[in-house]
Amino acid sequence: MAVPVFTLQLNHKLLPGRITIGKYDGSHSCLTAATTADKVLIHSPHRRLGSASQISGATTWSQVNKEISLLSVNRNVSAICAGRLHPELEQDILVVGTPSSVLAYNVENNKDIFYKEVVDGANVIVVGNLSGYEYPLALVGGNCSIQGFDYKGNDPYWTVSGDNVRSLALLDYDLDGENELIVGSDDFDLRVFKEDVMVGETSETEVATILAPLRGSKMAYALANGTVGVYNKLHRVWRVKSKNRAVSVLSYDIDGDGVEELVTGWSNGKVDARNSRTGEVVFKDNFNSSIAGLADGDYRLEGRSQLICCSVDGEVRGYDPSRLGTLMEGNVHQDAVRELLQKKQALLMELKNYESNTRSSGVQQSMNAGMIPAKTSLQTTVSINLGSKPKGVPHVELCLATNNETIIRAVLVFAEGIFAGETHVVHPRDEELTSTLKVELLPPRDVPLDIHIKALVGLPRTEQFHVFELTRHLPRFSMYTLTSVSEPLLDELPTNFVSFNISERVQRVILWINQNFLLSSELEPEAGGGSLSLSFIALRDGSPLNISMHSAGRVVISTSSMTLAGDLVQSLASFLNLSNLQVTAEFPDELAHLGEWLEKVSNLQEVRIQLGADLAHRAGLVRNLIVRAEDARLLPDLSSMREWHSQLREVNDDLINSYNIRCSNHNELLEILKQINLTIQKAARLRVGQNKADVVNLSRSALQNNNLHSLLKIVRTGEA
Amino acid sequence: MDLELTRVDYSLSGITVSHTMELLPAGGPRQTQKVVIGDQDGVLQSFSMKRGEQQMVFKTLPGPPISQVCLGGATGTIKDKIFVSKKGDVQGYTKKGKIFLTFDTCLAEPIKSMHVSGSTLLLSGNTVYNQFRDCEDTGSFLSGDVINDIISLPAEKTHSLVPVLACADGVLRVLDGAELESQCRQSRGGSTRGAGPQSPRAAALRHEVRIPSAPTALHMSRQDGGESGQDVLFGTADGRVGVLSVTRNTAPQWRWLLDEERPGAAVSSLHCYDLAGDGEEDLIVARDDGSLEGTALSLSRRRAARPDRHAPAVPQTCPESVSSARGGVLNTQGYDEVVVSTYTGLLFGLTTERADGVSAMDSQTVSLSQDTRRRLQALRADLDGLEEKVAAERDRYLAAAENGNTLLSVVPHLSVNHKMSLIREEAAYLLTLEAATAIDNVLVQCDVPVDVLDVDRNSAVVSFSDCGPESGNKALVTFRCQMNTTRLELRLRTVEGQAGLLRVYVTPLVAPKCAALRVLSIPPLSLHARTHAAGPGDPGDRPYSTLTLRGPFSLAEVHAWLAACLPDVAAKPPAEPPAAPLCFQNACTGTVLVCSYSRGEAEFKSDNVSTISILKDCLSKLATRRSIHLDISCAVNPLSGPHAVRLMFPVLREQAALHRDLALLEALRDLDRETLAPKFLAILDNERDIRERHKRHPAYLDRLCGMLVDLYVDHHKFRGANARSRAPALLDAVHKAPLDGLLEALLRFFEDAGAP
Repeated sequence: MAVPVFTLQLNHKLLPGRITIGKYDGSHSCLTAATTADKVLIHSPHRRLGSASQISGATTWSQVNKEISLLSVNRNVSAICAGRLHPELEQDILVVGTPSSVLAYNVENNKDIFYKEVVDGANVIVVGNLSGYEYPLALVGGNCSIQGFDYKGNDPYWTVSGDNVRSLALLDYDLDGENELIVGSDDFDLRVFKEDVMVGETSETEVATILAPLRGSKMAYALANGTVGVYNKLHRVWRVKSKNRAVSVLSYDIDGDGVEELVTGWSNGKVDARNSRTGEVVFKDNFNSSIAGLADGDYRLEGRSQLICCSVDGEVRGYDPSRLGTLMEGNVHQDAVRELLQKKQALLMELKNYESNTRSSGVQQSMNAGMIPAKTSLQTTVSINLGSKPKGVPHVELCLATNNETIIRAVLVFAEGIFAGETHVVHPRDEELTSTLKVELLPPRDVPLDIHIKALVGLPRTEQFHVFELTRHLPRFSMYTLTSVSEPLLDELPTNFVSFNISERVQRVILWINQNFLLSSELEPEAGGGSLSLSFIALRDGSPLNISMHSAGRVVISTSSMTLAGDLVQSLASFLNLSNLQVTAEFPDELAHLGEWLEKVSNLQEVRIQLGADLAHRAGLVRNLIVRAEDARLLPDLSSMREWHSQLREVNDDLINSYNIRCSNHNELLEILKQINLTIQKAARLRVGQNKADVVNLSRSALQNNNLHSLLKIVRTGEA
Repeated sequence: MDLELTRVDYSLSGITVSHTMELLPAGGPRQTQKVVIGDQDGVLQSFSMKRGEQQMVFKTLPGPPISQVCLGGATGTIKDKIFVSKKGDVQGYTKKGKIFLTFDTCLAEPIKSMHVSGSTLLLSGNTVYNQFRDCEDTGSFLSGDVINDIISLPAEKTHSLVPVLACADGVLRVLDGAELESQCRQSRGGSTRGAGPQSPRAAALRHEVRIPSAPTALHMSRQDGGESGQDVLFGTADGRVGVLSVTRNTAPQWRWLLDEERPGAAVSSLHCYDLAGDGEEDLIVARDDGSLEGTALSLSRRRAARPDRHAPAVPQTCPESVSSARGGVLNTQGYDEVVVSTYTGLLFGLTTERADGVSAMDSQTVSLSQDTRRRLQALRADLDGLEEKVAAERDRYLAAAENGNTLLSVVPHLSVNHKMSLIREEAAYLLTLEAATAIDNVLVQCDVPVDVLDVDRNSAVVSFSDCGPESGNKALVTFRCQMNTTRLELRLRTVEGQAGLLRVYVTPLVAPKCAALRVLSIPPLSLHARTHAAGPGDPGDRPYSTLTLRGPFSLAEVHAWLAACLPDVAAKPPAEPPAAPLCFQNACTGTVLVCSYSRGEAEFKSDNVSTISILKDCLSKLATRRSIHLDISCAVNPLSGPHAVRLMFPVLREQAALHRDLALLEALRDLDRETLAPKFLAILDNERDIRERHKRHPAYLDRLCGMLVDLYVDHHKFRGANARSRAPALLDAVHKAPLDGLLEALLRFFEDAGAP
């Protein structure tokens, strides 16, 4: 357990994950946090005395605690970040995000730098330099989109992501000296953007809620299911999972060895620091309530920064390596002794197991209950079951079988992201125990999966079982079953499809299909014909999917789902190492929606303006009525007072009604905007490389000009 | 007592059970002592620590598991002889490791506990107590229930043999050793006069002291039982500690009782030692849940030592359950410490010596860290050797698995300790699982509805799997443990009337991988706990309903039926009829069940009709299975329904209020505080408390409602009416009726069928 170098109490309830630290005067660190009362709290312990009187305006200095100032936001603070946004000022700028706006604020001068409405909301904000942009940007992640504002309030950066953005990090991903942007979103994906081109993408098992840069190309991440780990580029170095949720992740050198540790603040009030290479815990402490955030800054004016931890109750503790180094020494030795003893015990136990095994295997029929023939092995097969029973649904079937009379008592299937929990258990009734066991799998998303299987195998009626552990790989598109293989039809074109030309042989495509689909037998690369056509049925909804390749290298993927088409294109492109790919896409159904949505947006915006005017009118009425009612009361004219009040109530009811309308109107607008963003993202995913980035940029200008025709053309052809 | 203790790890042995570690007496005050420890592999070892290094005195070869280690010696000499019990044998070692005694007791049951007093050896198996003088059988006694521990008052002070048995039915039995001896002599002399079996038994049994829960550990207060050698310390299965003053002839007197219930924290070891060095003995309590406490016993002349409530205890926890804890000096001369052995065989000390910290500058501590460094090196070398050996064995094992056709692969026996204890306050069970090595994962499966709840202390990742309606599973929960977890706790909430099996598969992290299955049965009346017959403070005038059974069944049969219906029933039927009635109390509602039975007739009384109804169904089912025709008659007291509601009501009202407050909280938070009534402000102020309480007992109200509905339906069923259709109205009342009139509203439902 660590001893903090300082502790203090802010006496405000803080919102988890919304803590930052900034040097607003250029030299002194100030802890900044969002409070539950829709305020932003700035703690400045080194504030020069006497300046309180000079400061006025938006911030108010607390009467009780002279070190705390509060900035009223009056809207739920959804994100907060301080950083050098202004290229000329040597001061940090505070950027505050709410569900509908972004405010950049100069704390030292008590001045707003800019205030922008953002329709997509601000779920997360980071401030810093991004490669390809001259000025530092405040990058704001919202619903399906990311916007980058410079200090003037312009937004030179805009891109879309697959779903609502949950986390952002600036990191020198390719070690070229400039920062790239890493985005974690609700569709469990992590994407890397260099300027506005996506250069990397990987899928996690849950929503990545926090991303934090470590040294070099390393990055720390935390998922909503309690996982914390480290990526080096897009290779996972290590991860650990806890039943609690990580609230904040920070890189800080707590043991003073020159290498930053990964510090995590947990929802149960625990703080721990792990070695960024191995994940080994080197430091831990406990708070009484959930951690709100972590920061590092020089809070003791001693020339080096401390690790600062805040709990949601406003308790703040600071740690630094100096104290820790000597303190840990003795404990480290003790821990090492304990660990070695534990290891020794495990080894001794294993040795004993082998010994007892050789001893008793000589004696046939020993009394020990948990034995199986030594040659017992467990076979697994993965296949597609179309669900013959009336109730059965089509699913992927994992079949386990032993090679003798032993039975499979239970199976634990561990795979993240496809079950409600992380584990699926099959435990048959006593009378149904056999040497085979079937497990139903229904992966909800098209991602490659590693499933870890633990099977308990033994003779019937034993109390001890052998555990067989094995891992099977489930290909990415396992939820599609092959129905027919034929020659492609040349003339007829389906209604929904994407088509493109590749300069690859058909054998390579067959190889890709063998690797990414679950087939009963592998497809033979046909010797003569350079063409092929495959029909699949989706197990989830029974919709057809057709992949055909003509001899000239033209590939047509026909499916009604643009998302699926995008997944297939991306998977094929990465398999074939294509750096650029332009496609022709025809999705009349989805595109028809686009037109509807655009129309709806303009309608909704009109309604919104109307409602706004209406609201202002009614508010005026209220004011008027209150004055009259108050007059009547003073006059003691009770009857007219009652009259005014009843009118007031009517107006009030109207106001509430129109507010509700406005609310639902707003939600509808948000939903539609999200859908539009999504469609653009889906359209972009149909292309690869520069063509992909082009779609996003062109779509944006088309949207700004409200040019539906051009937008549709971009989606179809990838060009304006 | 403001002590700061530092943990120092010493060594490792096999699995140890309670009372298997002792410190040999020291040569002088605060001189270093030697430790002696016996494990389940049958190895007894004794060693001292010298500058952080283990100095072995002796170590025996493996054999049958050692169940207890005791120190003894002839009266008046230093107690430095080591006595070890394994299976049916007792062995005596000198402190140098020389065997001076090998004694085959020829007892039918393996020895569970042992005590040595001078030349008298006290042994107990499961339910039989035996005494031997100079290895000669001098008497035995059959206890009514399982004997957990034995002790005798110090012979030096009392000049007689007074054994005290700690029995699982919550009774301390005080015997008269001399009486047993004379009986033994008589029976051996062949003078078998036709005296009834009870009379000598009754004569030898001097006192029976009822204590609140099953006692698990005994110890003489301040080692020798105080000035007159009469004070016996005891610890119970639910974590209480008390002192009783016992003599042969006068009735036992209570000294004090720490009446603090701690479910799952059974006391495993008690010891008295002056830890703080202030001249007063401190009480060291070690528990099953890994916690250790040192409490100052303040000494007053006239009264027995009593822990000072205000003196701060020294709480320490370790992640494994503690099997023994002793105060003494082991590592460094002059520094007192608590030496602790755990279930997995780890031996460590909590020493008053500072190993690090502020005063780390003097030469001694520096040398200590050098010592540790040397120890680390030695340990690492040790490990490397082991690893090589293991790798070779592993290869051989794998090779055998590949070509051995007729060979069998045998899973080694896995030691997994499990314990179910009822948490009365929550009406839930605490299931504790502990393995000898780190646990990889645990799978819990149940075929009746139970709620499996996580415990905050756990670090394991819990995953609930879907249970298909056709699979026959009602709960499938996996716990994936973090590194170095050897102990896992989980809470289970059962429903009365739903009996079934709970299967727990524990997979330790050891190669070759294997899993141990533990099957626990959930009895139909799972929430009943054994109590003593209507104690003081219990309202005697409960409106009992009675269930009477008559039929051609034996006492053993009806006892076996009861054992299948209720928890905590001894496996053996009571020795002699008429047995004292067995009493149980429902942990949730507070209603009681009294069972009195004999051959051919059994009577069950309860003030809860649901209990009677469940019991009736179960017993008739069990009897049908053995094709015994039962004549069942039921006398239902119409007052018992409303009575049970009244008993339940305080908890129900509290939970109902909690739920209403919770529902209000969200709405209240959006309102302006200034305009709120004080009642609502209070709710807002108590927000954290309300949420905390709700979190501690999630869905408790639903459970209570379930019981209430069962009670309501059973109440009317016995009166020939089907009331299930009106149950929703009853529930509606719980959720909506004003709290002040809730009881009356509920009682109205229990009136005649005509009422609402």
